Amino acid sequence: MSERRPYRRPMSPTWWANPPYRAYTLRELTGVAVAIYGLVLFFGLVCLALGPGAYDGYLAFLRSPFSIVLHLLLLAAMVYHVVTWFETLPKTQPKLIVDGKPFPAKKMTDIAIKVGAGCSLVLLLIAIWVGR
Amino acid sequence: MSQFVQEKRSISPLFWLPFGAGGMLSALFGPALILITGILAPTGFLLPQSFESYDHARAFAQNPLGKLVLLAIIALFLWHGAERIFLTLKDMKAGPLLNLKYATYGVAAAVTVVTVLLLLAVGF
Repeated sequence: MSERRPYRRPMSPTWWANPPYRAYTLRELTGVAVAIYGLVLFFGLVCLALGPGAYDGYLAFLRSPFSIVLHLLLLAAMVYHVVTWFETLPKTQPKLIVDGKPFPAKKMTDIAIKVGAGCSLVLLLIAIWVGR
Repeated sequence: MSQFVQEKRSISPLFWLPFGAGGMLSALFGPALILITGILAPTGFLLPQSFESYDHARAFAQNPLGKLVLLAIIALFLWHGAERIFLTLKDMKAGPLLNLKYATYGVAAAVTVVTVLLLLAVGF
C-alpha cells in the first residue's frame, strides 16, 4: 500500500480549448481531416467494388456542393497538417550535426515544407499531364 | 538478482510506425490528393471529369501498383488519424480507454481489412 498523496494540479474540463493547449488541440485535430479523407477514398473503393451504379452515386456525391466545401475544408486542414508535421520533425529527429554545428531546427522545417510542397506539386502536375 | 522486476513492455511503438508513415505520406502528398480527387476532377477544372470515371478507377484499382497505392493511402491515413484522435480523446478523458480504442484503432483495423478484401474483389 502506498502512502503517497501526490499533489494534482486542478485542471478545468475544457483545458484543451484554451491557450496554451489550443494550438496542440488544433494540430491533433488535423488527424480527423486525414482520417476523413481516407474514409472518402474508402467509400469510393466500396462503391467501385459494388459496380457502376453505386460508383455513379459516389461520383454524384463528389460533385455535390457539400462535398466540394468538405474537400476545401479538408485541404485547409491538410495544409495546416503539413506545416505542423514538419515543425515537429526537428524535435523527433536525432540531433543533426553539420560542419560540427547543430543544424538549426527552423531551417530543417523550412526545407522539409519545401520538399513536401514540391512532392504535392509534382503529383498534381503528373495528374494534369495524365488527364490531358 | 530477482529484485529487478521485468517491466511490462508497452505495445505503443507498434502504433507509432503507421502513425508516422501516415503522417509523412499525407504531409508529402495529402494536399495534392485532396485537390485531385475531391476538387479538380469533380468540378472538371484543370482535370477532365472522366479522370475518376468508373472505367479509370477500376483500371487503377486492378493494377497491382494501384492497389498498393490505394491500400497505403487509405490504411495509413486512417491509422494516422486514429492515433491522434485516440491520444487527444484520452487526454480529454472522453470515456473509458477500451471504448476509445475500439472507436479509433478498431475502425482503422476494420477499414484496413475491408480495403484488402475489396482490392482483391475488384480483380486483377
